[in-house]
Amino acid sequence: MKQKVLKRSKKAALVLMVPTATFLMAGCGQEEAVQTAAFETVDQCAAFYNPEQCRADLGQALAMHTQVAPKYTDKAACETDFGVGQCETPAQAAAAAGTEQVPQQAQASSGGFFMPMMMGFLAGQMLNRSGGQLKQPVQAQPLYKSRDDRSTFRTATNTPVAKGVGPTYIKPSSVQPKPAGMVNRGGFGAQAQKRSSSASSFGG
Amino acid sequence: MKKVACDERPGWRSYAESVGFEFHTFDGEPYWDETAYYQFNLSQIEQDLEQPTEELHQMAVDLVDYVIRDEEKLQQLAIPEKFWDFVADSWRNKAPSLYGRLDLVYDGNGPAKLLELNYDTPTSLFETGFFQWVWLEDQLMRGKVPQGADQFNSLQDQLEAAFAELPLANPLYFASVANSIEDKGTVMYLMDIAKQAGLDSRFIELEQLGEASGQLVDLDGYAIEGLFKLYPWEFMLQEDFASVILSSQTQWLEPGWKMLLSNKGILPLLWQKHPGHPNLLESHFEQPGQSFGAGWVRKPLFSREGANVELVTPSGEKISEPGPYADSPFIRQKFQPLPKFGDSYTMIGSWVVGNSAAGIGIREDNSLITKDSSRFLPHIILD
Repeated sequence: MKQKVLKRSKKAALVLMVPTATFLMAGCGQEEAVQTAAFETVDQCAAFYNPEQCRADLGQALAMHTQVAPKYTDKAACETDFGVGQCETPAQAAAAAGTEQVPQQAQASSGGFFMPMMMGFLAGQMLNRSGGQLKQPVQAQPLYKSRDDRSTFRTATNTPVAKGVGPTYIKPSSVQPKPAGMVNRGGFGAQAQKRSSSASSFGG
Repeated sequence: MKKVACDERPGWRSYAESVGFEFHTFDGEPYWDETAYYQFNLSQIEQDLEQPTEELHQMAVDLVDYVIRDEEKLQQLAIPEKFWDFVADSWRNKAPSLYGRLDLVYDGNGPAKLLELNYDTPTSLFETGFFQWVWLEDQLMRGKVPQGADQFNSLQDQLEAAFAELPLANPLYFASVANSIEDKGTVMYLMDIAKQAGLDSRFIELEQLGEASGQLVDLDGYAIEGLFKLYPWEFMLQEDFASVILSSQTQWLEPGWKMLLSNKGILPLLWQKHPGHPNLLESHFEQPGQSFGAGWVRKPLFSREGANVELVTPSGEKISEPGPYADSPFIRQKFQPLPKFGDSYTMIGSWVVGNSAAGIGIREDNSLITKDSSRFLPHIILD
């Protein structure tokens, strides 16, 4: 007998919207450490990973550098944390990265600021060993070294990730990149306020 | 296609509230209405609705590539020049899109006619994908609808597959405006489906979105790499964070290129490209000083829920809906009356997920203009 093909969903279940179902969400396992690696150059990285991916990871780290690096208003304060001659302005960082364009916030903050130089990069870990995409990958990102510990690579939020170049194990949540500096809020929603007298929804 | 009176399920309101469907009644007026349902046969669904939905969708998507190369078209659609590259890049980078809804005029016979595309912030999603589905299961169990009845509604299955298969950021944030329970309900439903597809879905009020060094951030200051926003692109482009759209490393749902398709200006462009297509209504951009005659409908490029729409019927009757969207250019569309079932005018919202038709939701109103408060009725397929 021919199976009738239904035109409707096989199931329509809710897990979040139903209060009694919240227990389904509980009991998530301990986060496992995953393998990634710290490098200073694409060549070092290419010994472990696909060179194309290495170049992409370095590119992403350089692009994030100005956004996530800790910011200082004066050079001396930056050098106290990161060492003499180890701090730069966003313009210098952009020049060092070989890009012509000065990152946006360098123009935004007229006085300029200083941040540590990028000392290496964390290889992103977008794929697991069987080639599948990880649900919580580690992001490629810039790494720094503090003044008093020149061997350890640290993230922009001062999380140590590797003793020197090479493979390391980390928990993905500990290296979630976070932008440094002031956060502005409330920049979206003004049109809704303005037009709300007659509309209860901004969908349609 | 016919309308069939039906007993309501006892206690459906409490059930609705228990699953977060708090907007089943609006200002004391029913929004979800199960005192009747619409009945279609399978060929009406497959030939008159499903197939044209996919064809119209493809025609619309095919226009994107042509509009992004044409400054005159971008100007006609009132896309600010500052965002032309953003829109074009989102298209060229194949930024994924989740869903859309086509509003159709259909009475059971002849070609369905496209009224408009809701391709940026379509709503009535929960009502269609979940609540109407549960209604059918319940009524089959109670014997209130004929055994063997089906429904054109694979919306939740298809959305779950889309969340699992599209190359989306994870975690994925979902934002809607703080004071709309309807929009929050829609977003909660999408978050629920995303969760079931294995994504870490997180809610943030639209007004709470943060910006740090040009990057969109959450309440803890973490970068938002993926954001579903139930908020119109054309609003966002005018607001304080408009520049953040350009600087932030964020994957947007819907993507930037959808602002071309949610725009009513896509209707005259579709007509220019496919004049006389059986599923299209004749449409033109309004010319300055043009008079507005019988048999035409006037719609702003940007409007939602029937707001700021006015029409003159062929017999000269004028009908208009006020609203807050009078500040954009207008188009003219040939008037096509919605079919009347009993005292109500009926419109069909036809969903697309990816490039596939995914089901319908039916709206009824006492006037010829369907709006936010129009009732939602369930449907069945019976062959």
